Amino acid sequence: MSLIDRYVAEVGRHLPEKDRADIEAEIRSMLEDTLEERSERSRQNGTPVDEKIIIETLEELGDPRLLASRYAPAKRYLIGPGWYDVYIKTLQRVLFIVLPIFAAVTFMLTLAEDPLDFIDAVGEAVGSAFDVGLQIWFWMTLVFVFMERSDAIPNESLNPDTRAWTVAQLPELPRKRQISIAETVMNIATELFLMFWIALPVIRGGSDSVPFLHPDLWNFWLPLFFVIMGLTLVHEVFQLKIGNWTPALTITNVILSLISIIYIAALVLTQDVINPAFLAMLDSSLDTARLREVATWSIDISAAVIAGIYVWEIVHSIRMARQFNKQESEIPASMQKVS
Amino acid sequence: MENDELVQNMLLELRRGVLSIAVLSQLSREEYGYSLLKALSDLGMEIDQSTLYPLLRRLESQGLLQSDWRIVDEARPRRYYVISPQGRAVLNKLKGEWSAMAETMKKMLS
Repeated sequence: MSLIDRYVAEVGRHLPEKDRADIEAEIRSMLEDTLEERSERSRQNGTPVDEKIIIETLEELGDPRLLASRYAPAKRYLIGPGWYDVYIKTLQRVLFIVLPIFAAVTFMLTLAEDPLDFIDAVGEAVGSAFDVGLQIWFWMTLVFVFMERSDAIPNESLNPDTRAWTVAQLPELPRKRQISIAETVMNIATELFLMFWIALPVIRGGSDSVPFLHPDLWNFWLPLFFVIMGLTLVHEVFQLKIGNWTPALTITNVILSLISIIYIAALVLTQDVINPAFLAMLDSSLDTARLREVATWSIDISAAVIAGIYVWEIVHSIRMARQFNKQESEIPASMQKVS
Repeated sequence: MENDELVQNMLLELRRGVLSIAVLSQLSREEYGYSLLKALSDLGMEIDQSTLYPLLRRLESQGLLQSDWRIVDEARPRRYYVISPQGRAVLNKLKGEWSAMAETMKKMLS
């Protein structure tokens, strides 16, 4: 009977502890019934059941693991279909938000320690973002496995209450965005980096390196720069959120851009932007006066280019706002999202 | 060949629902696993052992069957299953559904 013992034990191995003994006994009993019938010999006369019949019967019953799985109500997956979508979506969202922020912060902190080691900072940022990503992935999976296994948290997608559903629950069709998310995020990153770069000498506080910008600018112009940048950042966040050139967004954009243009023009026209000490430090064949001239020229041209970008930005947003307005008026009033 | 597999899968699905009703209907008198298998087979309903036994257990955990280990006629102990009052109520409902469905299908397929 050793084949039967082995078969029953193999089924039992894949059964939950609680039902194991009972199911094992039942399978054994029904196997015996089958064998008895098939060998057409009574157990009482003691003849061992033919091995061939045992093999036949067991193979008919099939893979013990498969048989066990038919009994086992235990979940054979970590995260089932009810939670899978939520799991993937949450993971995506968290990773897409956390990792770039984490990489950027690590990058800046590493750079703050040693502004020249750009490659090291990039490596550090990528490496630590990878580590954090793995951590997030692991812990979030663990949380979802727990939710899958506990009944404490009701899973709506698993047990949809079809009667309660009404068309009111249908989400609106997503409106086409005019403002690209990637572009806006790039803008925000650039602005943050610019602010960081300008603030770097202050953050480091050391006197071992010579800042590029004139130290006197810190009295008024640079603080003002941070205020304008802060407002711009807030505006970018709203651009991300709203996604279209609505009247409010357009007007604030025009005002902010005008302020920026005026700021840049005033800065370049009235102030010495470049630190003379920085220029003196440069190893150049030009004499000091000529070097200053070249530096001032390049600053003026950069300022003109930036101002030009802002002008284009104003024109672009107004044009887009017109387009958006036209689109809106084409949508019947009843279909417009009330928000 | 592909069609064979398709047909097999569809038959499996078709039988899955029917088997519960068949089992419930034959358990107004108590039976143990193998004797039930025989009874079903004699009526023309062939069913794998590996399907029947887990099914019995599931129906019991749903409260539609009752069971206990017993020794009858000095044989080995066996687990005997019989329909529960709740099972009987469910079976009656299913019977009604079944005849309506069979009627409909008959009309459709003729």
